[in-house]
Amino acid sequence: MDCEKIQELFSPYLDNDLTLKERTAVDAHLKTCPDCAGLLSLMKTAASSLAAFPEIEPSRELRNKLRAIPGRTKRFRAGLSFFLKPALQPVFAAVTGFLVLFSLYMFNPDKKHINQAISRTFQRGVGQIEKLYAKAGSLTDNLGDYAHSVLISLKKINPLGKSAD
Amino acid sequence: MVVDLYSKKIFNMAYQFAGSFQEAEDLTQDIFVKLYNSLSKYDLARNFTAWLLTLAKNHLIDEYRRTKWEKKQRDDFDDHLPGLASSDDPEGGLLEEENRKILWEGLNKLPADIRMTVILKEIQGKKYEEVAEIMGLPLGTVKSRINRGRLQLAQILRDKKERKNGL
Repeated sequence: MDCEKIQELFSPYLDNDLTLKERTAVDAHLKTCPDCAGLLSLMKTAASSLAAFPEIEPSRELRNKLRAIPGRTKRFRAGLSFFLKPALQPVFAAVTGFLVLFSLYMFNPDKKHINQAISRTFQRGVGQIEKLYAKAGSLTDNLGDYAHSVLISLKKINPLGKSAD
Repeated sequence: MVVDLYSKKIFNMAYQFAGSFQEAEDLTQDIFVKLYNSLSKYDLARNFTAWLLTLAKNHLIDEYRRTKWEKKQRDDFDDHLPGLASSDDPEGGLLEEENRKILWEGLNKLPADIRMTVILKEIQGKKYEEVAEIMGLPLGTVKSRINRGRLQLAQILRDKKERKNGL
C-alpha cells in the first residue's frame, strides 16, 4: 500500500479499530517509511495535546446576560404577537397598497402630468355631481307636480257613484 | 437551570471554534437566544445535550460561512486560558505548551466541518457516535473527517518544527 492509503488508516490504527491484516500492513509500512512513522507520532502528540486543552470559565457578565434572555424574548414575542394578529392583516395590506401607490406617485418623473390628470378627473367628477344634483332637483319638482295631480284626481272621485257636481 | 448547566460547554465550544474570546461571548448569547426560541421544537425523545450541541454547531458553522472567520487572527493562546498544571519536566512542559499554541493556531486552517468534528472528538472528548449525532452525519463520515483533521494538524506540527529547525 502507498503512503496515502496507509495514512487513511492512521486514526483507526490509533483507536485500535483495524483488522489484524490491516494492522500488520500498517506496521510493515511504518518500518520502511520514516515519513509516515513521523507523521503518526505527531498525530499522537496532537491528539494528547488537544485532549489537554483547558476549559475556560465564562465571565459573570456573560452568565448574567444569558439569564436575562428569557425575559427579553418574552417581551419581544408579546410585541410581535400583537402585530401578527390576523385582524390587523387587512389594515397592513391596505397601508402597504397605499404606500406603494404613494411611492409610485412621489417618484414618478412624470408627476406634473399625473397632477394635471388628477385635477381634470376631479373637475369632471365635480361637474358630474352638479349635474346629478340638478337632475335630482328637477325629479323632486316633477314628483311634487305628480303628487298634486293625484290629489286632485282623488278629490274628484265619488265613492257613492254620484257626480261631485 | 439551563444557563448554569450549559453555558460553560457552549462558550468553550464557541471559543475553540472561533478562536476569539469576544466573538465567543457574542456567539454564546446568539445560541442561547436560539435555544429559547426553539425550545417548543425540542423532541422529548431526543437527548437534550446532543440537541443543544447540534443547535450550537449549526449556528457556529452558519456564522463562520457568513463571516469567514479564518481571515481573522485567533486570540493568543494564553490570553484567556487559565494557568496549566505545572509539569515535573519543565522542558517537556515547554514543548507541550508550544505544541498547544501551534495546534490552537492550526485549528483555523481546518475547514469548518472538520474543525468542528475535531473539537467535539479531540478537545471535548466525545465518542464517535455522539459526534455523529451532533453533526448529523454517518459514523463513517465522522471517522474519516477525524482522520483528515488529525492528519492536517500533524502536518502543521511537522511544518512548524521543520521551520523552527531550519530545514
